[in-house]
Amino acid sequence: MTDLKNRIIAGERAAIAKAITLVESSREEDIDRSHLLISELIKSPGHAVRVGFSGPPGVGKSTFIESFGSFIIKKNFKLGVLAIDPSSNFTGGSILGDKTRMSEISKNENTFIRSTPSRGSLGGIATGTREAAIILDAAGYDYIFIETVGVGQSEITAANLVDIFTLIVGPGSGDELQGIKKGITEYADIFIVNKHDGDLASQASRTASDYKSAISFYNKDSDDLETQVVLVSSIEGKGMNEVLNAYNNIIETNKKTNQFEIRREQQLAYWLEEEVRNKILLELSNEKGINSLIKSEIQRIISGDTGFYTASKGIIEQFLGKK
Amino acid sequence: MTKNKNKSLNNWKDKFTKEVKVDSVEDFFYSTDEEINIKPLYTEADLLDYKFNDISSLPGEWPYTRGPKASMYTNRPWTVRQYAGFSTAEESNKFYKKNLEAGQMGLSVAFDLPTHRGYDSDDELVVGDVGKAGVAIDTVEDMKVLFNEIPLDKMSVSMTMNGAVLPILAAFIVAGEEQGFDKKVLSGTIQNDILKEFMVRNTYIYPPEPSMKIVGDIIEYTAKEMPKFNSISISGYHMQEAGANNVQELAFTLADGMEYVRAALSKGLAVDDFAPRLSFFFAIGTDFFMEIAKLRAARTLWAKIMKDFGAENEKSLTLRTHCQTSGVSLTQKDPYNNIVRTSYEALSAVLGGTQSLHTNSFDEAIALPTEFSSRIARNTQLILQNETGITNTVDPLAGSYFVEKLTEDMCAAAWKIIKEVEELGGMTKAVAAGIPKLKIEESATQKQAKVDSGKRVVVGVNKFKNPNEPKIDVLVIDNEKVREDQIRKMNLVKSNRDSKLLEACLDNITNSAKNNEGNLLALTIEAIRARGTVGEVSKALENAFGRHYATNVGVSGVYGKFFEKDDKFMDIQKKINLFEKEKGRRPRVLIVKMGQDGHDRGAKIVATSFADLGFDIDMGPLFQTSKDVAKDAIENDVHAIGVSTLAAGHKTLVPALMQSLKELDKDNKIIVFVGGVIPEQDYQFLYDNNVSAIFGPGTSILDSAEEVIKLISEKNN
Repeated sequence: MTDLKNRIIAGERAAIAKAITLVESSREEDIDRSHLLISELIKSPGHAVRVGFSGPPGVGKSTFIESFGSFIIKKNFKLGVLAIDPSSNFTGGSILGDKTRMSEISKNENTFIRSTPSRGSLGGIATGTREAAIILDAAGYDYIFIETVGVGQSEITAANLVDIFTLIVGPGSGDELQGIKKGITEYADIFIVNKHDGDLASQASRTASDYKSAISFYNKDSDDLETQVVLVSSIEGKGMNEVLNAYNNIIETNKKTNQFEIRREQQLAYWLEEEVRNKILLELSNEKGINSLIKSEIQRIISGDTGFYTASKGIIEQFLGKK
Repeated sequence: MTKNKNKSLNNWKDKFTKEVKVDSVEDFFYSTDEEINIKPLYTEADLLDYKFNDISSLPGEWPYTRGPKASMYTNRPWTVRQYAGFSTAEESNKFYKKNLEAGQMGLSVAFDLPTHRGYDSDDELVVGDVGKAGVAIDTVEDMKVLFNEIPLDKMSVSMTMNGAVLPILAAFIVAGEEQGFDKKVLSGTIQNDILKEFMVRNTYIYPPEPSMKIVGDIIEYTAKEMPKFNSISISGYHMQEAGANNVQELAFTLADGMEYVRAALSKGLAVDDFAPRLSFFFAIGTDFFMEIAKLRAARTLWAKIMKDFGAENEKSLTLRTHCQTSGVSLTQKDPYNNIVRTSYEALSAVLGGTQSLHTNSFDEAIALPTEFSSRIARNTQLILQNETGITNTVDPLAGSYFVEKLTEDMCAAAWKIIKEVEELGGMTKAVAAGIPKLKIEESATQKQAKVDSGKRVVVGVNKFKNPNEPKIDVLVIDNEKVREDQIRKMNLVKSNRDSKLLEACLDNITNSAKNNEGNLLALTIEAIRARGTVGEVSKALENAFGRHYATNVGVSGVYGKFFEKDDKFMDIQKKINLFEKEKGRRPRVLIVKMGQDGHDRGAKIVATSFADLGFDIDMGPLFQTSKDVAKDAIENDVHAIGVSTLAAGHKTLVPALMQSLKELDKDNKIIVFVGGVIPEQDYQFLYDNNVSAIFGPGTSILDSAEEVIKLISEKNN
């Protein structure tokens, strides 16, 4: 394990890749080894800024990452990308095609691009994504981009993985604005309105100003930095400097106000809770007789012998009582 | 229809259902790939209520279903036009002259992939591709050698060029000029069909919009300066090769044509100024009658389309087409069967009324054609022309209940798709949205699944296999030598030119492209005359337009659907699930194309069907170097890499990949397998370079998946 750790810290590509495989693995012995590795790596943290990207499918997340990634590697930053690919099909296999939209950055010496099938896990991110970011951080990457699958409700989990949470939207209708409202602005640090090009250019500018006014209306806690809106064209490479400036601004301000550290601590709490919750659920589902108990209680609810709350209370008490 | 006829038809139905023991004739309807129902019998009743096909029309008469000309082959048979080119211009020139002596009537030049993609032979991106799948052209000097001692005022020359269309057409014009032929007398065709490149063939350079501008500039220039030259060959061929069904091929091709008409109109040209010089190119596959109907339907619909554009000149209304027999129908197994397949396809093309024809050589599923296989391919047409009597009558199948009805059905089905495309805002928009590409990939996967599941018989492949596979000779290109020759010749040209003059010419191109002023072909001719290379001109354009990178997402679930409850399919799934249980993740395979070869039908089908079986598949972008592929493979920690190669670059690219993998991880356990067009003579070479498996054309996906999961499991134990 020390050998693997040293090779990661030395930035060896194959070692980083093997380590990510380890933290993604579902094999019992791998899970134990990955815990060991991560607790070692955490002792030698790097300085990476983790940026999350979410947004509806087809909005151009990968294309933006290709364009913005090219921009920042030209400034001699090292870039790690963790792309969670949504395309799992009914047999469990998947086609990981995100990288085909990142052909320029994937060739570059200073990048590490890893795709992972989402396997339908909640939150639009995959098992091991948090740990993969720790590995890339230890390996000395300056930026770590995490691209989520971008289906609804993924924002909270994804936002809890990163220092900057970016929502990418397209030149859209007011309907989408209804969706953002207050909730999302609490998680998003920045909105990127993509496709500011060709036929869609003017629509994109309109969308951006709609977002701006919506955000000022639903502005979050006054201490916080206001969510920013940047207009870009990934295919023409427009607006990339503005995005980088916005990111720098967010990091600088949050570091000054200690928000940066506070957020990381809160995230740790979030993940600890998640871990405990998942473990309990796993234990519960492994409990003998629990499934048949649930089945029989459902029957009893249907036939009117018991109520929903009484049944759930009964199941939990029976389980917890045994502990 | 009279009562009597109705009665006898009912009698026939009774007899039929009794003979074959079914309840209704409809049980015997056959649904084609195009989802057209083929009935066991067609009668006079099937000639009624046509919207498109006018069965009373005559050849050379509206709507030209029966042919663009009144006399057709009775006056002059179709042109035997064999597509060829390889190695250096010197070698190709020798080959052309020999073929012309042996009865070929027109030339058709195949360029190598670096030329297609606008790279000079010395570019490090193209190391494995120079001179492989066509002839390498870097400068006008190469072009002059290519046509040495060929009378360009008499010989029509077809050039398959789309991406680097400006420098190649310019080099052709300057070569003619310097050999004493004014551009006004040059006849032939430039393919110049960029939309289908974005859909299927992938030898584009620039993004769709500037690419369409180039097409427009070429149509404009040739309309004014080259009256005998076809400015475009609107091609469905590559769509069928990529797996499109016949209706898709027909509809998307005509819709492309409409887009080119609009591009030319936007240049301020009048429709009859350029429309007579639009030509077409279709594939002819093994579905005999469908192919005939397709050509008849194509002429019918094009006449209607052009009339709607306001064309009045008869030549604008008539669709003239080149055809080529299907490459994808050729098999590596029992390859002499391909001679027979090609013969039937050629017959189909001729009965459909093609203006010129290329017949494939039987060994093209394995390698580049040899002199022997080329002769048989050419003679297939010469026998049709000289021995069968087929040229004595115009459109001999007209009036056949079946053929007329099928023509009408094809028209109706294609028209529906054309209308859908038009509603999307035309083909440029549809292509940008990736819609035709996905439809074609879906069709391709279905076709493959039909063969793999035995629902479609391919003789010698999934039935009637030959226990004694014959060994055949193949043409071998010494890629290294060609590359060195090209670089030497190019450097000679470079050392003898006025670099200041050239620089000015190249700047003019970039500026014109940036500001959308002037005609790019006219400016390119200047640069080529000043001895600019194909790569330099392409770069000057790229400086203004950028280079296009396609996204590459596949369909899913289409293949698996054909194998519900199939034993072998489920067995492979079981093995994959077992692997996941034991190893903590699914077997992961990177499917790649390397070099400049953009034919990705095979790669796409393997990717989607492997994913349906339960593999995790990484799709690499097109046009990767071995280094790019190795980085991708190592970073994603894949168990295996599948290299798809159709352009003969494997002997250079595969060893380079192995080397790159070692450099990134000297202990890597990655399995490399290769699929595509690989001559058996090269198998040992690849095995010696640690390739674990080779899958030739016609390999069942299930067989290859079974082998791959076995290899991965063994290696990871």
